[in-house]
Amino acid sequence: MDKIESLQNLLDPKKIAVIGASNSKEKVGGIVFRRLLGSRRRLFPVNPKETVIEGHKVNSDISSLPDDIDLAIITISAKASIQSVESCIKKNIQNYIIVAGGFAEVGDVGIELENRLKELAAEHNINILGPNSLGIFLPDENIDTIFVEHGDKALDRNGRVACIVQSGSVGVEALGYAANTGFGMRAFVGLGNKCDLDEIDFLHYFARDEKTNCLGFYLENIERGRDFLQLAKAVSKEKPVVVLKAGRTKTAVSAVSSHTGKLAGSDNVINGAFRQFGIQRVFDDEEFCDATKVLSMLPGAPGNRVAVLTAAGGYGVMCTDFIEKEDKRAALTMAMLSENTKKNIKDATFSFTACENPVDITASADDMMFSLSLDALIEDSGVDIIICIAFFAPPGITENLIDIIAQKIKKSDKPVIVFTKYGPFTDNSIKNLYYAGVAAYPSVGRAVRAARFLVERTKIKKRLGLEI
Amino acid sequence: MKDNIRIWFDSLASKKDSIEKKPDEFDAKKLVNIYSIKTPYGKRFAPEETFNIGKLDSEKLSPPYVLKVCSSDILHKTEMQGVLLNIDKESVKNNFKTMQSRFPDKDILVENQTDFMGPEFIIGIIKDPALGHAIMVGAGGVLTEIYKDTSFRLAPCSVNEAMDMIDELVISPIFENFRGIVLDKKKLARTISQVSKLAHDIGDELSQLDINPIVFSKGEWIALDVKVVLEK
Repeated sequence: MDKIESLQNLLDPKKIAVIGASNSKEKVGGIVFRRLLGSRRRLFPVNPKETVIEGHKVNSDISSLPDDIDLAIITISAKASIQSVESCIKKNIQNYIIVAGGFAEVGDVGIELENRLKELAAEHNINILGPNSLGIFLPDENIDTIFVEHGDKALDRNGRVACIVQSGSVGVEALGYAANTGFGMRAFVGLGNKCDLDEIDFLHYFARDEKTNCLGFYLENIERGRDFLQLAKAVSKEKPVVVLKAGRTKTAVSAVSSHTGKLAGSDNVINGAFRQFGIQRVFDDEEFCDATKVLSMLPGAPGNRVAVLTAAGGYGVMCTDFIEKEDKRAALTMAMLSENTKKNIKDATFSFTACENPVDITASADDMMFSLSLDALIEDSGVDIIICIAFFAPPGITENLIDIIAQKIKKSDKPVIVFTKYGPFTDNSIKNLYYAGVAAYPSVGRAVRAARFLVERTKIKKRLGLEI
Repeated sequence: MKDNIRIWFDSLASKKDSIEKKPDEFDAKKLVNIYSIKTPYGKRFAPEETFNIGKLDSEKLSPPYVLKVCSSDILHKTEMQGVLLNIDKESVKNNFKTMQSRFPDKDILVENQTDFMGPEFIIGIIKDPALGHAIMVGAGGVLTEIYKDTSFRLAPCSVNEAMDMIDELVISPIFENFRGIVLDKKKLARTISQVSKLAHDIGDELSQLDINPIVFSKGEWIALDVKVVLEK
């Protein structure tokens, strides 16, 4: 079994030892253990100071564990972690999640400890996630080792986005945000300090994973940069790869004696490199969630001509501005609608409907008018993408529109993105749309940006396809 | 490393005053020539060398000439009055003497002056600490650092990738026959790709490279100034 295959046992373990499991509900070992109770896996708590936790008999030491443990989650302090890993290795445990901080991020003493972990990983056939890892969370597998509150209940099953994050807090906030508005999470992996497993390992793993159709990374530094890029390029022929790269490294001092050196800055280089290797770049957690969501729900866009269908005139105008705004990621343009389309929309709505794109069917419109107008736009060969501006204002436009749009999207080969707002119920509307299979966003700018991600994705596929 | 690059490095090592083997403009141009990148025809004169017009003619040099101080120590030639343009046959001897008196211990480069239309571009290489050599193309000339109209890829990059780089520039509509200006975009892309191969072939020893400006003249892109910085 190669290293990548062996990660299966890390992410879907049958027998899990929790080193430092505790009756205390405040201690990390207590929280992680309780989270795993719902996992329907066999759990083996280890703690010399405890005898029973939540009905589970506690092992007093690692040596008394059975020989076929798949994963050890180490929830004790940095210094004590090392010894635990050494003992676990004697029990042939292959996979580790080390939660504790206090390693390389705190200076010399920590660096020494982390180097010891690196040695252990190099000398033995083991996988270490962390240290300083937030843990893993795979909704479908019922595996959740994340010790801080996150929106697990609100996340959809059968999710297809693998999120691999270096920083715990950014990851958790993204999770919470995503959960509120509907998001299909396949897996969440907290990389932490990357003493052994890093982004390349998980890029490999989730590229092969059939349940994953989109990969998202939050990274502060990219280990083995060229290798990561090369692999991302290969993966992105099949699945979108989205990267939020934070932290700008300084250009080498030697590089300032040329114009190029002064103009470079590592961020420009990263930008260019990401484009070259088929990676879609995002800049904050919101954009990260927006991009991975739409890319996992829709396959791309046949072109960049956008039609806007709205019942609210002002937002139609605003949407046009966003579409026509210059953007290096992907240019969008307002579609020219055919005479036939305009006639069909007028017939379905009012004789006074403004049928030039954006199509404004006015606040007097109802669900049926919206539906027939959407049909007309989907059928127009001059339209590649449709943005619906849907405000649920009964009696005209109701939440029934969600199902109507969802049905049409399933039959259409053109992406339809929805912008909606509904006061304090906005998140809920977006979540309902998500459950119906519709990618929706609570602002014009974000809906248009989602369309750009799709156009960018198609461009990448074409470009990489050409190079084979 | 390719044989002709090895030979180029050997020629640097044999320069008598160049223990640190720093390439000057003339050397840098010879390097890019290996990768089929064209430069103006020119001749480098040593400090002690006397000027002889007959020598110029025999070297296929013809007026108008450009005279440049040629030294790896001087970063900005123009500011130090180290560049003379539009020099005709009659005044070349005197101008050469002026340059020699301004820079008594430096080489002087005499080149054919290139006639060109359209804007100046810059092509450059830097070494990113994490990702290695990156190639840049941008709006060039002395104002390049003000425009900041650039795009990057990692080296080596293909001609298609170089086409994408050009498309990303604000100045890229210039290739759509803007105001009658005719520029060969594909040839510029090929040049970018060639420079990226150069960086890739030399490897770690190359620290930075600037071709600025590179201009379009008589159907070819010509590198008017080239600077190469090697790792110490």
